[in-house]
Amino acid sequence: MNIDYSLLTIEMLTAGLALGLLVLSLVVPGDQRKGFGYLTAAGLAIIFAISFAFNGVNKEIIGGMYLIDDFGNFFKQLALVAGVLVALASIPYVEKLESYRGEYYSLLVFATLGMVVMVGAGDLISLYLGLELMTITFFVLTAFKRGDSKSAEAGIKYVLLGAMSSAILLYGLSMLYGVAKTTVISELVSTIQAGQISPALILGLMFLVGGFGFKISAVPFHMWSPDVYEGAPTPVTSYLAVGSKAAAFAAFVRIFMGGMPQIQEIWIALFAGLSALSMIIGNLIAIPQTNIKRMLAFSGVAQAGYILTGMVAGTNAGIKGLAFYLMIYVFATIGAFTVAIGFSNATGSDEIKDMAGLSQRNPLMAAVMLVCLLSMAGIPPLAGFAGKLFLFSAIVAQGKLWLALVGLIMSMVSVYYYLSVAKSMYMGEAADPSPIEIPGSLKLVLIVSMVVTIFLGIYPAPLTGLAEAAASVFALK
Amino acid sequence: MLQQYAGIGAMLIIAIVFPIIVIAISSIVRPKKAAKYKYETYECGLETQGETWVQFKTNYFMYALVFVAFDVETVFLYPWAVKFMSLGTFAFIEMFIFIAILVIGFWYAWKEGALEWN
Repeated sequence: MNIDYSLLTIEMLTAGLALGLLVLSLVVPGDQRKGFGYLTAAGLAIIFAISFAFNGVNKEIIGGMYLIDDFGNFFKQLALVAGVLVALASIPYVEKLESYRGEYYSLLVFATLGMVVMVGAGDLISLYLGLELMTITFFVLTAFKRGDSKSAEAGIKYVLLGAMSSAILLYGLSMLYGVAKTTVISELVSTIQAGQISPALILGLMFLVGGFGFKISAVPFHMWSPDVYEGAPTPVTSYLAVGSKAAAFAAFVRIFMGGMPQIQEIWIALFAGLSALSMIIGNLIAIPQTNIKRMLAFSGVAQAGYILTGMVAGTNAGIKGLAFYLMIYVFATIGAFTVAIGFSNATGSDEIKDMAGLSQRNPLMAAVMLVCLLSMAGIPPLAGFAGKLFLFSAIVAQGKLWLALVGLIMSMVSVYYYLSVAKSMYMGEAADPSPIEIPGSLKLVLIVSMVVTIFLGIYPAPLTGLAEAAASVFALK
Repeated sequence: MLQQYAGIGAMLIIAIVFPIIVIAISSIVRPKKAAKYKYETYECGLETQGETWVQFKTNYFMYALVFVAFDVETVFLYPWAVKFMSLGTFAFIEMFIFIAILVIGFWYAWKEGALEWN
């Protein structure tokens, strides 16, 4: 069997970067480990640039175990660009660490590699391999604040619940294999017939949805996310919120849209329920939150609900909306979390009430927070509006008006708690009006996320083109 | 359809009942002769020393982790070594990369003092 290794350039480079960082942290003495963050960001940025050479390449490797296609490439680019931003946002945090600085970045790149493998997987086994690489790395990163009891608590919670969700997922995959007698996703189309749906298949699908639902933190599998988000180091939280979620959504699309479009009516009902629940519960519980990271965690649950509507549509338009929304979600979320990083770095607080008067203390941070939150709420002309428009028009086209209505109403609800942060930042009086200084790397992340969020809201065409190409991999309606 | 559900139900019942039966039968059938040695702590072949409830150093898990890495390496090394002549240069390079990755991990563990007992 001949394998064209040049197709795996992105994967090999990412693995090489992660190992190189580990070796570098071994040979460089502890007190001289500086600039690892910039090195990581530059490395991932170069890989990101190289990934554009793979746009339009549609090939499979090892009998369909691994796919190089536009859909996978779109999500690889998402993981890489998120990796660049997170690496930059981590710099002030890592500088405060006493030890394990190089390891932090190495693990970050390994998590990226996990996502890259996961979104390119064309087989249940390679998919699981990527998933575990990503998840286990995140276990370590979550508990990275040594000596901090909240971080340790978050780590333990994530390990236990993550292990359980992996077990459930694996059980589901084994049932799917038992029914379909193949682990190659593209072969599921012919081996699972619409007329013969066995109970084992339905059980398998439910376990599958549960396992991945944990990763995207959809209700009722969301209980871990606020605690883990709050306890984990904030840069890790932002990567967990965007990367882990996007990769799990990509897996959903691969398995359900790519492998089982013939039994759509079964899983669409499941996703519609999850989506509506996530939108309602996520938004309602986000309202009383006082900690910015917990608030963003629940808002992330609600966002997972919006994005799930793309699955409910079950069409190419739905996948396009899902891919588009996930990409802009990366910038909005990392922007908001980076403000939280800068703020807690300067003041040591994650509380929303302490952010009062932020517009006077640091206008850039307040502006970025405002833009990112409004984009998540879906206010035009920001990117989130375009994303929600694509998602909701895709489900309305399929006659699921009720779900779009739930989405619209809950978006309005979400404006309340997003704006209450803005009110505190702009109208509130600061207890300590001294200006907040943030490092250059954070400024860069803030400006990039704000500019992209505004630009894609006004002119979404470049990203819609990519998302459309990604969706066209699947032969649906 | 219903029959298939019945199949799952039957399997569930068997899965619950089977271990109960096995334990029950063995408790009925087995000879119950109390002897002094039976109540001692099990240790393979050695005389036990001290109490059973001793605390272990958590450092043990480090050794276990490093051991697992090498264990897995061996699993891949054996078939490769057996088929070495027919696999050619490419497999040699592949195995070289594989071992290099493991060696980096081992180097890291060594440097971080995972192999030191203190």
